[in-house]
Amino acid sequence: MNKITTIIIEDEKPARDLVKGYLAGLDRFELLGEYDNGFTGLKAINELSPDVIFLDVQMPKLTGFEMLELIDHQPEIVFTTAYDQFAIKAFEQNAVDYLLKPFSKERFLEATGKLIERVEKKDGEGDGISKIRKHIEEGDDIIHRVVIKKSGKIHVISTDRIEYLEAQDDYVMIYTRDEKFLKQQTMKFFEKHLDNEIFIRVHRSYIVNVQSIDRIEPYEKTNYILSLKNGSKVPVSRSGMQVLKDNLNF
Amino acid sequence: MSHPFTSQRRGLVLYTILWLLIAGVNIILLRFSLGFTLVISITEALIESLLFGLFGLILWYPIRYIPFRKNAPVYSILTHVLAGLIVIFAWLFITVGLLEAFFSNNDAYIAFLENSLFWRGFVGFMFYLVMVLIYYLVSYARTLRERAQAEEKLRTLVKESELNMLKSQINPHFLFNSLNSISSLINSNPEEAREMIIRLSDFLRYSLKHRENKFVSLEEELVRMKDYLSIEKVRFGEKLSYELNLGEKCKHIQVPTMILQPLLENAIKHGVYESLDPVSIKFNCNLHQGYLELELKNDYDPDQPVRKGTGVGLQNVSERLRLAYDGRGMLTRKTGDGVYTVKLSIPLDKNSEL
Repeated sequence: MNKITTIIIEDEKPARDLVKGYLAGLDRFELLGEYDNGFTGLKAINELSPDVIFLDVQMPKLTGFEMLELIDHQPEIVFTTAYDQFAIKAFEQNAVDYLLKPFSKERFLEATGKLIERVEKKDGEGDGISKIRKHIEEGDDIIHRVVIKKSGKIHVISTDRIEYLEAQDDYVMIYTRDEKFLKQQTMKFFEKHLDNEIFIRVHRSYIVNVQSIDRIEPYEKTNYILSLKNGSKVPVSRSGMQVLKDNLNF
Repeated sequence: MSHPFTSQRRGLVLYTILWLLIAGVNIILLRFSLGFTLVISITEALIESLLFGLFGLILWYPIRYIPFRKNAPVYSILTHVLAGLIVIFAWLFITVGLLEAFFSNNDAYIAFLENSLFWRGFVGFMFYLVMVLIYYLVSYARTLRERAQAEEKLRTLVKESELNMLKSQINPHFLFNSLNSISSLINSNPEEAREMIIRLSDFLRYSLKHRENKFVSLEEELVRMKDYLSIEKVRFGEKLSYELNLGEKCKHIQVPTMILQPLLENAIKHGVYESLDPVSIKFNCNLHQGYLELELKNDYDPDQPVRKGTGVGLQNVSERLRLAYDGRGMLTRKTGDGVYTVKLSIPLDKNSEL
């Protein structure tokens, strides 16, 4: 029987050791490696294409969830976490399993049992992950950073650095002071998850950070256009103007 | 509630002067309008005023202990009219009796006394009403002030209990991750697992103790903070290093329990949790111009996004210091060059009282 290839992504060594110890007793699983942050973990997923990952949610710079946005290969996922109300909800609905730290060997074996079942009758790839993504999109958490892969590098962009966003078909172009990044995501997602006191949808195709606005100028007869501090121009729709007025009190 | 006039020397003096003034007006009236001799004028005015003044002082007690009943105003008014009549009758009886005895040989004056009885009674009744009014106003104002004080005290108590709630909250992440580490160590290193359980227990016991709002020596506080850090050290290994310096002169100074814990938690949360590189935490203490200064520095990544809702722990520390040291305890923070510094200033003079 084929071995199920596995990696562990977890920033605390004792926690990795625990999973490693439990896995050592299971012949079906082959551990390909362990990684202490989302960046090296992401690289390993894309290079090694493991069947299964044990993934910690709370990790520096790139959380387990953010990492999932960037993977090409879609493995089965077992989340491990200590305490996170939101995450627990997401797992309950979508992940193969989630382990609440500290967890017993019995509980761990239950999770690996489910994993074996899922890997053996694999129907289409990574259904679970798209569901988790969907769950995050449907929630109403405010995001504070955006993760993007650009020419092989991973960029973690703090939302304060974003000046404006522009819709481009199935993608959104994110503009910072001196760079731009293409992200596969919808305008609707950003409209919902960016802090709406700072980011305003001024047009069907544009969301603007109010702190980067330099001035608002009339354009043709009834329209307006925004001049940003970096010199860019952004059109404003009539309803966008209304939202701006409400938000900036003028 | 104490008497508004007799409880304070100044009040009594003022009250006496007031009645002497009234007596003065009375003397002028008797002497110059009605043409009685100076002796008669002075005697009558003094007897009337001083006697009424005495009655007036006593009036406070029935008013204080028989409050005006809003739901039965007619009853209350009738009570006062009746009481007023009794007081006025007694007052008239005594003054007129005395004056008649003193000046029994002056027929014109005796006649005047007997003719003016009604007017004397009327003026006396007016005085009576004014006194009652003053007493009710004083009583009312005092009740209001007492109620406001009670409310203020209640607010402080509520705030205190809220603070206690907040203080006793240990970050669940810390707790569950520590237990997970222990679970792992039980296999690989049972000795260290036992050590960690003991440190965790000591730390939890200490954090429970501070519900009582106690003060401890800085030395003890630091021992517990070392427990906390050593537990985090097991979790994060090389990524976390720390250095706690406690000078001999700071050791025995009393500080509120768990006042440093939120600082450390903050340093770990924003330093260690959010960093890929090793983070060091340094603690120093100093005595400076009557203040104990506690300083905690940690490395942090200045690029990380600022999140709303952070710094609640530090705000609580600031509030606790403010309450514990009557607004003189202070928390200041500063950032720069990838180092975050939090400084607590605690006035030393409070220590002598503890």
